[in-house]
Amino acid sequence: MNTQIRKSLNRYHMISKKDFATSGSIQQTAWLCLAMLATVGCSDFEASFSISENTRSLAAEAQNGTGESPGVIALTEEKFGNPQSLKAWTKLPVNWGGTSVSVAAVGSDGDAGTSGESAEVETADATETPESGDNKVTLQVPDESISLPNTVSSLLVSSGESAGQSVAVTSWDASTGEAILATKLVLSAGDQCTLDAGKGLQEGRVLYMRHCSHCHGTAGDGNGPTAQYLNPRPRDYRHGVFKFTSTNDMSRASRNDLTRVLRYGIPGTYMPSFLLMEDDELEAIVEYVRFLAMRGEFERKLVVELSSDYSKDAMVSRIEGGETRDEIVEELAEFLELDMPESVDYVGNDLQEIWTAAETEEARVIPTVARVPDTAESRRRGRELYLSKTLNCADCHGIDGAGNGPQTMAFEKNPITNEKYNEPGLHDVWDNLNQPRNLQAGIFRGGRRPIDIFCRVYSGIKGSRMPSFKNTPHEDIWHIVNYVLSLPFESDPGATGSLASSEVAGGAEAGD
Amino acid sequence: MNLSTLLIWFLRLLSTGLALYELVVGPLVNSVLADVSLPLLSDQVAGTKWFALIFAVTTWASSEKRFWALFFWYWPLVALWACVIAPGNNWWFPSEPLSRAGHQIDGLFYMILIIVAVTFIGTEFALGYALWKSAVRGKDDKVWFSHGSHRLEIVWTIVPAFILVFISMAQLDVVADIRVLNRFPDEVQSGPVAEVMARQFEWRIRYPKPGTELMTTPQPGDLYYVNELHIAATVPTMVNLRTQDVQHSFFVPRMRVKQDAVPGLIIPIWFDAEKAGEYELLCTELCGWGHYKMKARIIAETPQQVSEYLTGLQADQEEDGVADEE
Amino acid sequence: MATITPAVDSADHAHDHGHDHGHHEQTFIQKYVFSTDHKVIGIQFLITTILMLMVGGALALAVRWQLAFPWESMPIVGKLFGVFAGEGGQISPEFYTMLFTMHASVMIFLVIIPVLAGAFGNFLIPLQIGADDMAFPILNMLSYWFMWPAIACFGYSFVAGGATAGPANGWTSYPVLSDIASASPASGNAQTWWLFGLTLVGVSSMMGSVNYMTTIINMRAPGMTLFRMPLTIWSMFITAILQAFALPVLTAAGFMLVFDRLGLLLPTSIQSVFFVPAGLIVNNSAPTVGGGQPLLWQHLFWFYSHPAVYIMLLPAMGMVSDMLACTCRKPVFGYKPMVYSMAAIAGLGFIVWGHHMFTSGMNPALGMTFMTSTMMIALPSAIKVFNWIGTIWNGDIQFTGVFLNCAAFVALFIVGGLSGIFMAAVPVDIYFHDTYFIVAHFHYVLFGATLFGVFAAIQFWFPKMFGREMNDGVQKIHFVLTFIGMNGTFFPMHLLGIAGMPRRYADPYLHGYLEHLLPMNKLMTMSAILMGFSQFLLLGNFFYSMFYGRKVGRNPWNANGLEWSAPSPPGHGNFDVPPVCYRGPYEYSSPEAEALGQDFILQTDPPRRAATTEPATA
Repeated sequence: MNTQIRKSLNRYHMISKKDFATSGSIQQTAWLCLAMLATVGCSDFEASFSISENTRSLAAEAQNGTGESPGVIALTEEKFGNPQSLKAWTKLPVNWGGTSVSVAAVGSDGDAGTSGESAEVETADATETPESGDNKVTLQVPDESISLPNTVSSLLVSSGESAGQSVAVTSWDASTGEAILATKLVLSAGDQCTLDAGKGLQEGRVLYMRHCSHCHGTAGDGNGPTAQYLNPRPRDYRHGVFKFTSTNDMSRASRNDLTRVLRYGIPGTYMPSFLLMEDDELEAIVEYVRFLAMRGEFERKLVVELSSDYSKDAMVSRIEGGETRDEIVEELAEFLELDMPESVDYVGNDLQEIWTAAETEEARVIPTVARVPDTAESRRRGRELYLSKTLNCADCHGIDGAGNGPQTMAFEKNPITNEKYNEPGLHDVWDNLNQPRNLQAGIFRGGRRPIDIFCRVYSGIKGSRMPSFKNTPHEDIWHIVNYVLSLPFESDPGATGSLASSEVAGGAEAGD
Repeated sequence: MNLSTLLIWFLRLLSTGLALYELVVGPLVNSVLADVSLPLLSDQVAGTKWFALIFAVTTWASSEKRFWALFFWYWPLVALWACVIAPGNNWWFPSEPLSRAGHQIDGLFYMILIIVAVTFIGTEFALGYALWKSAVRGKDDKVWFSHGSHRLEIVWTIVPAFILVFISMAQLDVVADIRVLNRFPDEVQSGPVAEVMARQFEWRIRYPKPGTELMTTPQPGDLYYVNELHIAATVPTMVNLRTQDVQHSFFVPRMRVKQDAVPGLIIPIWFDAEKAGEYELLCTELCGWGHYKMKARIIAETPQQVSEYLTGLQADQEEDGVADEE
Repeated sequence: MATITPAVDSADHAHDHGHDHGHHEQTFIQKYVFSTDHKVIGIQFLITTILMLMVGGALALAVRWQLAFPWESMPIVGKLFGVFAGEGGQISPEFYTMLFTMHASVMIFLVIIPVLAGAFGNFLIPLQIGADDMAFPILNMLSYWFMWPAIACFGYSFVAGGATAGPANGWTSYPVLSDIASASPASGNAQTWWLFGLTLVGVSSMMGSVNYMTTIINMRAPGMTLFRMPLTIWSMFITAILQAFALPVLTAAGFMLVFDRLGLLLPTSIQSVFFVPAGLIVNNSAPTVGGGQPLLWQHLFWFYSHPAVYIMLLPAMGMVSDMLACTCRKPVFGYKPMVYSMAAIAGLGFIVWGHHMFTSGMNPALGMTFMTSTMMIALPSAIKVFNWIGTIWNGDIQFTGVFLNCAAFVALFIVGGLSGIFMAAVPVDIYFHDTYFIVAHFHYVLFGATLFGVFAAIQFWFPKMFGREMNDGVQKIHFVLTFIGMNGTFFPMHLLGIAGMPRRYADPYLHGYLEHLLPMNKLMTMSAILMGFSQFLLLGNFFYSMFYGRKVGRNPWNANGLEWSAPSPPGHGNFDVPPVCYRGPYEYSSPEAEALGQDFILQTDPPRRAATTEPATA
């Protein structure tokens, strides 16, 4: 990626100020830029994570907190930061990036023992010019398989006296591991540190803001400026739900699933293929998307904790029930102060568990039998199953697979509000009309490999009304896969004639 | 002192200052003070200091009239200089032409470039000279009272006409080679190797099942990929260009290939890659908001590698997620 | 309707000439708003187009900002629209697409075409041919007032599709992108409104061109034979013909596209699919039905829009010829070849449209034909350039802002003309089509040539419009800054084109082989900002001089044309006495003039006798 663009994007959106040290001074490409900024009077302003509708449905105090206790908005910011200053909640299974190192020696003379005394904590005063000798540390990698990065801009200390402190690195020598820190820290040999902690996430954010955010939104809410024109609408990650996965129906998407979608796009939608991105770029974007998904889920789950008692609607009905607003707010304050920290922990553990589980072998869909040979007989069997009462694929996809089953004409109820949707047809959890696929079109959004279709049937399509058929024997699923894959090439898919003729051929084969 | 005089003085001081900075002060400071590095325009673009010097001299060239005359000589010089240093600064073709048609196209480009450069220098010089003559004319010199010259008109009608017809004729063979179906190279007469289907905002590639011919409608067993087309290097290749939605354009800069993909048409195009390697493929017809996102590549490799690639693609496309145990 | 006003030289006349005709008192509205006076209409057009120039320029700067600082917080725009706030002021790609679409639309349809034909055509035609007004004054007034609905339609189209979604299909609006609403959903209804705007601009132009043709043919003063007409009038005449013959095709095509777009809103009997073939799946919609042909639009569109390129250039050529002769104190070199070459450009202009379609999949044989005709159209342009240089040659140049802008016209038109040759050649165009090379080419023609011609013309005829002159020093500063900014912005585009940078890319640097062009784009944006902001000098000078400029007499430039024998500004009916024309317009420094001890001789001066009064009072 163009380093200049990377820099300029960094300047406007990407500088992480708190948990991670700043990404270093941005060299202006030309002095002309300054003249230009003076002319235009450009003042940058900051990107923000939008607050979800869910959160907005809470009473103001629940959103913003009461007294000392933070509300949902502040809690989310506390754990995840904002686009300018991301935070790493290290509990979460996100690959934050950076290089783990340990301190080998402190001070210019390399004598770790004596430097400990002199290296008292100094206030971070930028105006004071530090003597380079005092701020020198020598770092080493834990084992030889990892090499030191060529450029380093910050150091995060994770153990020892200065644990949790982060400092900018003003000079770095990759060959010796010698770093000069911007301010003094109390360090001693053996302290664990991370160089450029969060760098991966920051890079993901740079790439995300360039390639993704105009559709998917800064917060991954699927509501960027371009989103309103797209059909179907871009994914809103904040449910933590991704449609096309290779994991079972109860699992989150794995990193591989997301990478695959980025790499090959989703045919039939505006999600384009980013095949030509470098692997590390894709990796960075995937981590950032997972980070946003977790952030969104976190926010949602906190809202769930509060919504039954402290949503705007609940407040209204409670006040109607005789309570006064002040009483409720008092109760809320108590809840936020005493119970909320526990809930935050609980939600964090939950997120950690489910997103970690998605990467495991157990979560992956692995058919127990290999694909049944794609014979006419198999397809006929597939069609039987497709039409059968138990699976009833035709109810949605139509008897000839054209995506026009009876359900597409029915008015659905919104499962949450219990109100009927305005338009007939099936809806997904994002409340968008999401009609069943026309299988004759030959466009398979989740991929056209047999295993892809298998996963769609086995796990269902998460977030949509396509249910999981995990209890169906795998062999039967393969029959259905064979039938589905043959549909685009049937001139008259529903007619028995063509089936009959191919059946004859298949029968002959079977006879052999 | 009126404004035009003020302007001239401003330009004199500005250009002299710039020239001094670029030629004397900047280099001096940079060489004397080791830890100071003043940004010099000359470091960015070669020759800037000399132009600054010429411009400074120009501004001091006595009267306002002469300044303006020199001004109209000065800017074509800058323009020409920009073109001369362009290839060295990588402001030129992305690479040597890497296809048959590319060589022909570049040959024609340079032919036109020479004709155009000569004309440019001639006309701009003449214009500047006409200004200069007037700027230095004596107070009592008589104006050339003339309504024109038949002879000159005939000369400067016929000569350019010949040149233009010549340029035009020189193109015809190349156009035919690139575009006329029955002049396509023999190697591609056997048919297209793939279908390139443009859509908003990617290139969908469809190869026929190995061992079969490409049909215009999808066939069972066809192989699909996106944003990456594998072709055999050095031999001409034909593909069918189509679009699923709006108009796109297939542009491979290093091969100098461009053809619009027009809705409703299947357009066969041929090209060849002289060297094995990667070639950028992008869209050059506005196709919507994501126009710039249509980034793809053509990979030219040995025929052996192409068939291995297709075999691999075929295997991947039949992936059933069960580890082979047999 | 001809009213002869008494000769009044005072420039104060501008504000009180209404009182001089006893027969009708005009209200303010009649006089300055719904005026049928060609001069007022001309000035209305001029001021409108200058304002639109600023709008178009602002759009261009937004485009340039994105190219130099991709995806950075865009000044003003980023804050203006709420949807970009969460993105930190980063605009969206469809907004970028709209920006360049509207930049082109505004500049072409609301600036260049109306400033030439509308403003100067209106102001100059009756004055230069010695008529008291246009042939159809009310039609003339309507032609101006049809601009405003057009501006309203364009303006509304900005917001018709939501705050950040205007027409986003390029000014060429190629179907099916522009045809199927969901294909470029950013444009929504906006594209339809844009088409209505286009049609209204067409109506306005058509009314103008009918008027110009009639006026020029029928209302010339006695003695004003065709070959005594100034080249400005010839160019306006030829432009009017071009417009009258080419425009109906665009209007028809526009309506076809509107019918296609309105689709289901219309009764089945008039639903159409002129430009949509069957089976397209766009934005996940159902496959299209139809048997249309997208290339049909390209043929129809360019059948108008190629001649339109000459509509955007010829009048400037004519005016520059006039001004060069005057500022060089010399007759135009080769008057008749100038006229014939303009006619040749107009004639050939109708058979070259296919050169916009060399990569479109059109029959290659057609491509070759169009290539040859396109090459041939370079010939009359070359002849004109040679003649302009001949005109300057050995003249007594008055180095005013007028002359400098005219010289820049010639110098920059040479670049624009020569770069055209690359694209006329089919094989070379295959590489250059839709790259920045073409952007460089047409900006050199439309900005480098036409706008510099307009800058000169504004200053040259300003005294006739307002009886005051513009400050020449400010004009020169404006010239230098604009010239440097213009070349700094557009010359590097040639190199970008050669480097293969496609136009209309919101983020070209996504593609590895273009990454290194970012610094060059920054330089270009800097130049563009310089150029954009220096237009405030013109704007300031224009409006300041309108009220406070130095007062001048009838003929401040010592020029020959009929307009200079009228008062400045001319009253209702233009001339004190109906003028009689005795000679051609370019008899500067002729023996006849020198016999009078001057280097010019008005077309109205009767031959072989000294002028009784000195016409030049300045």
